[in-house]
Amino acid sequence: MRHPLSLALASLLGALLPLGPLVATGQEIPAPPVSFSPPPDRKIPSGPFGDLVRKGERIFTQTGKYAGKYVGNDLTCESCHLDRGRKPYAAPLWGAYVSYPRFRSKNMKVSRLGERIQGCFRFSMNGVAPPLEGDTIRSIVAYSFWMAKGAPVGTPLVGTGMYHLPPSPHKPDPFHGKKVYEARCALCHGADGLGTVSGGEIGFPPVWGPRSYNKGAGLAKVGKLAGFIKMNMPLSKGDSLSDRDAWDVAAYVDSQPRPADPRKKS
Amino acid sequence: MDRSRSAMRPLVLPIFLLLSLGIFSPAHAGNLIERGKKIAQEGNGLPGSTACMECHRLHGGGMPLIGSPRIAGQTKTYIEHEILGVKAGTRYAPIMAGVVNNLSQKDIRAVAAWYASVRTPKLPDVSPYDPSLVALGKRIALKGRWKKNVPACVLCHGPEGRGIPPHFPYIKGQNKGYILRQLISFAFLKRADDPQGLMRGIARRLSQKERQAVAEYFASLPPPPADGQPDPPSSRKASP
Ligand code: HEC
Ligand code: HEC
Repeated sequence: MRHPLSLALASLLGALLPLGPLVATGQEIPAPPVSFSPPPDRKIPSGPFGDLVRKGERIFTQTGKYAGKYVGNDLTCESCHLDRGRKPYAAPLWGAYVSYPRFRSKNMKVSRLGERIQGCFRFSMNGVAPPLEGDTIRSIVAYSFWMAKGAPVGTPLVGTGMYHLPPSPHKPDPFHGKKVYEARCALCHGADGLGTVSGGEIGFPPVWGPRSYNKGAGLAKVGKLAGFIKMNMPLSKGDSLSDRDAWDVAAYVDSQPRPADPRKKS
Repeated sequence: MDRSRSAMRPLVLPIFLLLSLGIFSPAHAGNLIERGKKIAQEGNGLPGSTACMECHRLHGGGMPLIGSPRIAGQTKTYIEHEILGVKAGTRYAPIMAGVVNNLSQKDIRAVAAWYASVRTPKLPDVSPYDPSLVALGKRIALKGRWKKNVPACVLCHGPEGRGIPPHFPYIKGQNKGYILRQLISFAFLKRADDPQGLMRGIARRLSQKERQAVAEYFASLPPPPADGQPDPPSSRKASP
């Protein structure tokens, strides 16, 4: 965790430094990243708002069960957004909530959070976008809002989004990545990448194949996937792969078949 | 390679004869299971061998009183892996260590096939479950303790802890003394046969109270059902 630590250190130093001289340069100084911890579950209030938050959490963790008609694969939101959307560097919801509306080069538009979540359903869940004003999006936005309570809006928070792994000095090598995959990943996701079942229910999520995310998803970009793997995989052993192994195994996973990008289908 | 093959040639005929007499036919899973059952009942006949059923019972229900685990319906892969770990000394298992040393590869495969094929109800645990520990254990099991880098147990052990074949054992319905002792063994003693050290890190990061709590919670659940079908709809994370 060298990088996040130095970030935390930087933010600490930033907080200690007197503001005067910085302001005097007349340049815009990027705000130092701020740490944030989401509130504990017991802080979810009772009443209709709390109900919506809890509904959002249910959809988030059991997406197939509670929003099945919008889901086209074996993933849940939590497959990637670990710890129910709370874990730093696994695109936590609290980080997302305070980063929207935002311009995205993906569709060259300024999107609201709800629209961003629609994208998750279309690409990462290989499904269809739920209506913006419908219950599914509304409750996930409410869950995100609740989780971001107390976070500064529009300020970079440590752990937002995915980790940016430094560019690889070598071209990522899928052949070496296959070896890493077999040694470190296949135990859970299967040598065939198709995930594992447990008594008829999904055990470990598929990382490629027809029931995984499609080619339009964020993780279908090698760099993003490498950053996600580096910080989070194997489960409970984040930051144990070398940067090089993370790049290579991401390149291998990315070289495997998965559903097409729906924007390019017709 | 060739040398060893020619060295084996003299054995081919007798094996062929045995096969044709039906005395053993390794290809036949039924016979493997039967052979395993015999070992479970009587040991493998070598001096010092012990019948597994003395501690695990014939149908694998275990003996909560002496902390002997239920093994009924664990996967063949897992059972073999554990016995090999005990033999190799990578799994701390003071009681088992004295029992499995004279088992051959084939005995191990056979007895694993037997215990993987049997089902049996849960035997009563040694003492009632403490409701406050069960509640804490359930929270850890379903939501984890991510601040300490402990993921929800069900992510690796399947919904409710029913196991994710072939490598991840079921832990629901296991006796609580055994679960707790394994967590302590992973954390502090020499149970080091877990792939990539996954359990060692997790068990170490839990507090003693949390280890007790998850042991009580998983022990309080029924074991995976006899037919291998899913349990009644899983309540993963639906409630606190
Ligand atoms: C004297 C009692 C005893 C006998 C006999 C015995 N076991 Fe065990 N077994 C245990 C105990 C106790 C453990 C827990 C580890 C320990 O403390 O040694 C265990 C653990 C195991 C495990 C690991 C279970 C798990 O969930 O990880 C397997 C598999 C197993 N035994 C299979 C067998 C087989 C097969 C036989 C017969 C060849 C056998 N045991 C004979 C007492 C016994
Ligand atoms: C990252 C995956 C992972 C997570 C999370 C995990 N486990 Fe495990 N667990 C394993 C693996 C793999 C094994 C099998 C180890 C072996 O092969 O010896 C195991 C084995 C066990 C065993 C021994 C079972 C037996 O029959 O001997 C117990 C008990 C256990 N885990 C409890 C837990 C509890 C409680 C939690 C939650 C606090 C948990 N595990 C979370 C991967 C995990």
